[in-house]
Amino acid sequence: MNKYIQVFKISFAQEFAYRLNFIMWRVRNVTQILVVFFLWDTIFSVQGRELFGYTRDKIITYVFGLIFVKAFVLSAKAQDVAGDIARGDIINYLLKPLNYFKYWLTRDISSKVLNLIFASIEFSILYLILKPPFYFQENLLTILLFLVSIGIAMYIFFLILFIVSAIPFWAPEMGWGGHFLVTVILVEFLSGSLFPLDILPVSLQNILNFTPFPYLVFFPIQVYLGKITGLLLFKGIAISLVWIVFLWLIMNKIWEKGLKAYQAYGR
Amino acid sequence: MIVLAQKKVLLIFLVAKVFRIIFYIIFLFFLVKGSQTIAGYNSTQTIFFFLSFMVVDTTAQFFFREVYRFRPLIVSGDFDLILTKPMNSLFRVLMGGADVIDLITLPPLYLATYYVGGLLNPTLLGTLSYLLLLFNGLLLATALHIAVISLGIITLEIDNTIMIYRDISAMGKFPVDIYKEPLKGFLTFLVPVAVMMTFPAKAFLGLLGFSGIIISFSLAAIFMFISLKFWNYALKQYTSASS
Amino acid sequence: MGNEEDKTIIVEHLIKNFEVTEKSPGIIGGISSIFAPKKKTVKALKGISFSIKKGELVGFIGPNGAGKTTTLKVLSGLLFPTAGFIQVAGFDPWDRKPDFLKKISLVMGQKNQLWWDLPAIETFELNRVIYEIPKKKYEESLNELTSLLEVKKIMNIQVRRLSLGQRMRLELVAALLHKPEVLFLDEPTIGLDVVAQQKMRDFIFEYNNKRKATIILTSHNMDDLIDLAKRVIVIDRGEILFDGYLQELINRFAKEKIIKVYLEKAPDIKKLESIGEVRRFNYPQAIISVPREAAAMAASELLQNFPVADLTIEEESIDAIIRRVFRGEMTKKDNE
Repeated sequence: MNKYIQVFKISFAQEFAYRLNFIMWRVRNVTQILVVFFLWDTIFSVQGRELFGYTRDKIITYVFGLIFVKAFVLSAKAQDVAGDIARGDIINYLLKPLNYFKYWLTRDISSKVLNLIFASIEFSILYLILKPPFYFQENLLTILLFLVSIGIAMYIFFLILFIVSAIPFWAPEMGWGGHFLVTVILVEFLSGSLFPLDILPVSLQNILNFTPFPYLVFFPIQVYLGKITGLLLFKGIAISLVWIVFLWLIMNKIWEKGLKAYQAYGR
Repeated sequence: MIVLAQKKVLLIFLVAKVFRIIFYIIFLFFLVKGSQTIAGYNSTQTIFFFLSFMVVDTTAQFFFREVYRFRPLIVSGDFDLILTKPMNSLFRVLMGGADVIDLITLPPLYLATYYVGGLLNPTLLGTLSYLLLLFNGLLLATALHIAVISLGIITLEIDNTIMIYRDISAMGKFPVDIYKEPLKGFLTFLVPVAVMMTFPAKAFLGLLGFSGIIISFSLAAIFMFISLKFWNYALKQYTSASS
Repeated sequence: MGNEEDKTIIVEHLIKNFEVTEKSPGIIGGISSIFAPKKKTVKALKGISFSIKKGELVGFIGPNGAGKTTTLKVLSGLLFPTAGFIQVAGFDPWDRKPDFLKKISLVMGQKNQLWWDLPAIETFELNRVIYEIPKKKYEESLNELTSLLEVKKIMNIQVRRLSLGQRMRLELVAALLHKPEVLFLDEPTIGLDVVAQQKMRDFIFEYNNKRKATIILTSHNMDDLIDLAKRVIVIDRGEILFDGYLQELINRFAKEKIIKVYLEKAPDIKKLESIGEVRRFNYPQAIISVPREAAAMAASELLQNFPVADLTIEEESIDAIIRRVFRGEMTKKDNE
């Protein structure tokens, strides 16, 4: 009898697995935000302090803004692409009259919607508990441009993910490693997810601006906060659009080569 | 038998981890440069706190790699095989997977900590209490890992629990003084990240009172005791269920 | 040569090479493989040619690694051919044009397209949209397939809860909803029990018959081939060794005949061995194999010199013939 209870428990755990995983993922997100929040809160605990061009309102808004921006830009179902290729599951999609890229983009969007819902809930709860001084942007045009920059950011991240996910075409074992290096480590630091990039000296910032990473998180939040306006703002958006074109071309080239080199193993 | 193809993969992870440490240090450097202090600590001190965190965290991970392979072990039923072997099953499940590649990351990390520590003009007492408390921290980490594994035996859910543990302990990257209550209390007594990572560095700087040291050792003893009891309990549950 | 128009599949001098990195054993080998990887070219297909008419059902036989699955993958557009001309249903597979993909289907034993945690019907709906199947045709197709494969009761259950046999039948439904005219089946009966295997075969036969679909089937299972394929292509080490009717293969390569004899009294084994190779001796039965031409003579010798109660002369089993093929006993020379 006990044997069947055990079997039941395993099945139950498996059944529950995905819902639980998602909730855990959100919990982890919150924990990470808490660390960043407290860090900056402490630094800015001195009254009327202004640092790196931020007041307390703006920096706390930055941190809270991260909840939304990360949920929208950096949560991507397309993380599974590398696995798809390494395991050979991609074969099923290659056989169908379906654009693999668009397929994942769609799945991504549906996952982002779910993440956004949760992000809103987390935001509300944390707002009520921590009572941060949040800066609410009033300018409609700014809000619009913020949304545009978010849309662009989402697309850029998606392209980066697809490019990195192509590694398994040549080296199936390397998939997760390459993914980890670029999309976890590099993105975490260089996109502004951990800290606003302007704490770095201008020289370093200039180097970073040659990469697409700042446009993922830092730039959109800057737009929202009204810290980047006018000509610079439009220049920023223009550059991020150029990045989309550039990454798109690279992605296509790499996938073309990758598919040819692909050995379609996994029976 | 070392399979070097797999080592190529771990090399990438190694590079990624090194990047991460370097990035973090750069971040901390500029952060404190601009803000002068964080909770009263200057740049060097903050970096030292961070490195102490890395020492405890990375060393613990080196020893306990096997914990990450625990779930497949249970699900497949291979855990039963381990229970029958003469070697202590707890030891096997906790430490059986020490990875050679981790040995590469540890020495430079220790050296860096040593170097930064040196910049802070330590006293003999400070250094001694630091090392003792680091060891104490590892004991606590061990206890927590045992608890996680025991939970895993009962609920079959271990991957998420481990990740939550990692996320909570990641809060120890900064001196826990930055956190407000009740979070600070939580991190000191419930999931004693403060004791594992902040206290040693504080002792090093001569900032930890005698009471702090007593709390540290007592907590380690208590946690060890509880987690071992928990482990035995979990084993009993498991063996009675799987006949 | 036949009318070019009704050739659905045309393959000419198809070459497929794989670049594989060789990893030498040991630590030194491992290190050198990181810095100076030794690349080896594996010649999976060495210039094969064949063509298949619309509605034909052809069996591909060959040992593991012969190139059967590789051929199917090239024909369905998954692998890029190193050289050669390939045309399937009028298209170049590698272009992977949507119109081409709508006409074909590749079913491989282990690669499942059904979403694991959802009932199969969800995957079917997804395919309906992907293949742009009009609603009415979809419903007809679904009905037909689910009745034929007897899966109506299980299509609303989560796929992961079903047995292998049930999953394979549902996979087949998913693969055929869009009514492909060209069907590639890679080991369709693998892992199935005897009853399920027969059902699978019956279904494939029906599909070929009713839809006039062109089917290539690879299998290790002799019963699949005997039942279904009139024409077979034997592949080994990337080369085609035989392309023709199964019966011809048997006739040409059945080198021996089997004589089964029932004896009234225990004989002298040595004397039996002088007639032919004693395959099995289980008194009162003895099984002797003799060269084809000598069969009649051997039979009469047995009748004359031994206390025979009953005697039959049989063909060598197809199993045995093809096993010889697999063991590589047939080479290109036999074909000339």
